Amino acid sequence: MLISVTTFWTILLIIHGLLAIALLGALTHQAVAILMPVRQAAGGAGFVTRFRAVTGPAYATAVCVLWILTFIMGAWIYTKYRIYVRIPIEQAGFWKTQGFFELKEHAATIALGSLPIYWYFWKNAQNHDYDSARKWVTLWLAFVCWFNFLVGHVLNNVRGFGS
Amino acid sequence: MTTTTATQSTSPARAKATSSLAASVKFRTFAVVFGISVPVIYVACELLNLPAFTYHPATNRIGLGWEAGRSGEGPAMYWYGWTVVTIVAGAVLGLLGTLIPESVAKKIPLALLWLLPILAFIPLTYSLMPFWTK
Repeated sequence: MLISVTTFWTILLIIHGLLAIALLGALTHQAVAILMPVRQAAGGAGFVTRFRAVTGPAYATAVCVLWILTFIMGAWIYTKYRIYVRIPIEQAGFWKTQGFFELKEHAATIALGSLPIYWYFWKNAQNHDYDSARKWVTLWLAFVCWFNFLVGHVLNNVRGFGS
Repeated sequence: MTTTTATQSTSPARAKATSSLAASVKFRTFAVVFGISVPVIYVACELLNLPAFTYHPATNRIGLGWEAGRSGEGPAMYWYGWTVVTIVAGAVLGLLGTLIPESVAKKIPLALLWLLPILAFIPLTYSLMPFWTK
């Protein structure tokens, strides 16, 4: 065998994390752009203005694909998490930490249901009837992405694969 | 001349948009019904414990419906089963939704698409009370 079992699962966890970072970046750009839209071209503007001057619709398909890929990778490593991470966390008495992981798994699935309409809203960005719903669905997805990322990060600090 | 050029250049694009999912009224209805159904179904699955299957990771065994963890075989996992029920049932409802008239479908409040997912976390967080109070 080229790599140990522990290394294999650690690589999968890192891929899950990298996908999540890409997703986080894309959704944060969109969320900031929708909260503080730039009224004119950002030429010569500073970092913050450039950060929020992205073309939101261009991110929609990438966000959906990244969410599904991150979800699949998370679901895959969850099988090992349940035994090699959760049980020691419970034995150590970190109940609130585990409670937040439970919320993370709920949020990931529920947000999956928002992806088709999120994609539709952004592909019809010229339709102002959808402006409010597009904004709130995007902010909801961005919030879930940040929440899940931070919970996953803390859990990895508490007890990552291979620890 | 500018107008003619613009018309010629936008016509193929318009034709393409009409045939795409983004221009489809049926896809819009599917996405709206799916987006509303998923949080409701997921909460029901979690609270009533209705997974499509139970996965036993220690023994790599899958059982139909809900199964308790067996002694000596490690924990049981229900999240996969809840997720499958939610996505499949949501997709079925979404497809059925495409059968309703467009005039009716357009009356569905779009605010439900972000309100229901947020409200879903009230019962879900409450159901995790043992984790918060230990």
